[in-house]
Amino acid sequence: MADDTEDVELDFAADEQERARRSAVIRHPLASFFHLFFRVVAIVAYLLCDWISENFASCFVLIITLLSFDFWSVKNVTGRLLVGLRWWNQIDDDGKSLWVFEAKKASRDNNIGTEAEARIFWLGLIICPLIWICFFFTSLFSLKIKWLSLVVASISLQAANLYGYLRCKAVGEDGQHADSFTGQHLLQRPDIIFGIL
Amino acid sequence: MADEANRQFAGLSDTAGEEDEFSTLDEPVKETILRDLRAVGSKFIHVLYPKRSSVLLRDWDLWGPLLLCVTLALLLQGGAADKEDQGGPQFAEVFVIVWFGSIIITLNSKLLGGTISFFQSLCVLGYCIMPLTAAMAVCRIVLVGGSGTVSFIVRLVVVTASFGWSTFASTAFLADNQPPGRKSLVVYPVFLFYFVIGWMVLTFSPSQ
Repeated sequence: MADDTEDVELDFAADEQERARRSAVIRHPLASFFHLFFRVVAIVAYLLCDWISENFASCFVLIITLLSFDFWSVKNVTGRLLVGLRWWNQIDDDGKSLWVFEAKKASRDNNIGTEAEARIFWLGLIICPLIWICFFFTSLFSLKIKWLSLVVASISLQAANLYGYLRCKAVGEDGQHADSFTGQHLLQRPDIIFGIL
Repeated sequence: MADEANRQFAGLSDTAGEEDEFSTLDEPVKETILRDLRAVGSKFIHVLYPKRSSVLLRDWDLWGPLLLCVTLALLLQGGAADKEDQGGPQFAEVFVIVWFGSIIITLNSKLLGGTISFFQSLCVLGYCIMPLTAAMAVCRIVLVGGSGTVSFIVRLVVVTASFGWSTFASTAFLADNQPPGRKSLVVYPVFLFYFVIGWMVLTFSPSQ
């Protein structure tokens, strides 16, 4: 009888954990933090670069490094964990380039982010490129041309992720292209972006 | 299908397998970083011994080119040309020349009917800058010893050799994808590209 009681208690603990996980406001605190961290620090660095160092080169390298880390982490980690979306490029055996956009179906068992996390994800993804576009115009009109190269590089890095995830979201909402092998929605087209990429 | 897709891709992408098995960030991220680092490292080795292989082409990534571009730009700092302006224009110049030049070459080869994809071509061109970056490092060391005629001759030889190496390595990958009559049409912009970079390396003179 004592054994039975112990078993029942263990089940309750596991259930509690599961319930806590499902009702948590933020399931992936680390991912949410890092999603915003690199982008915001890059923007702050751009605004404060005159105070950080007098050297243009070190500021340039710092911002490009931050934005590269941001690109990698948003593309490979936070998109997958926070909203269950993923995109990548693969090369066929015959050398053709294929862009794949994937959206995971929301179900009770998997660990995709909550609504709050989805909001964090999309707000971060959309607002930061808009801020960089404002920087583009301010540097253009104040004729600081050397900063223009930095701003253009930043915009391309951020816009790439935004575009990829918007395509994934379109796949998810489409819904009709479900792959026959798995339950995932996998849209594969020998697709060419803008006709060249 | 999904498994096949997962097996094939590499580079700027995440680990294979299902998505919902990792609840902590540590495991997959460390693995992914290590795998990406190994991919970048193997590409560098392939530039050192250029032969027709699919590594640079199939699993492209742009980390190597970014690293090489930053290194080259930093090595070109501190020259006599930009004494009054804290190295501003020169630094951004290198970036613009490398990336804009690579994009133009890629567009050229695509318009000529090449089968290589946009990012694959950027990857190859970027990685093949490595010999010229190494030459820049050597030149800066030689310039520490003095900037007379001997130093100039040494630098000229080093830069010419690495320019030839870069051009040879990149055309080994790029020209194969072209129809036969067009090979030289594709090769000459690559020649120009590395020539301009080699020129920047050779004409670098340290500020007094």
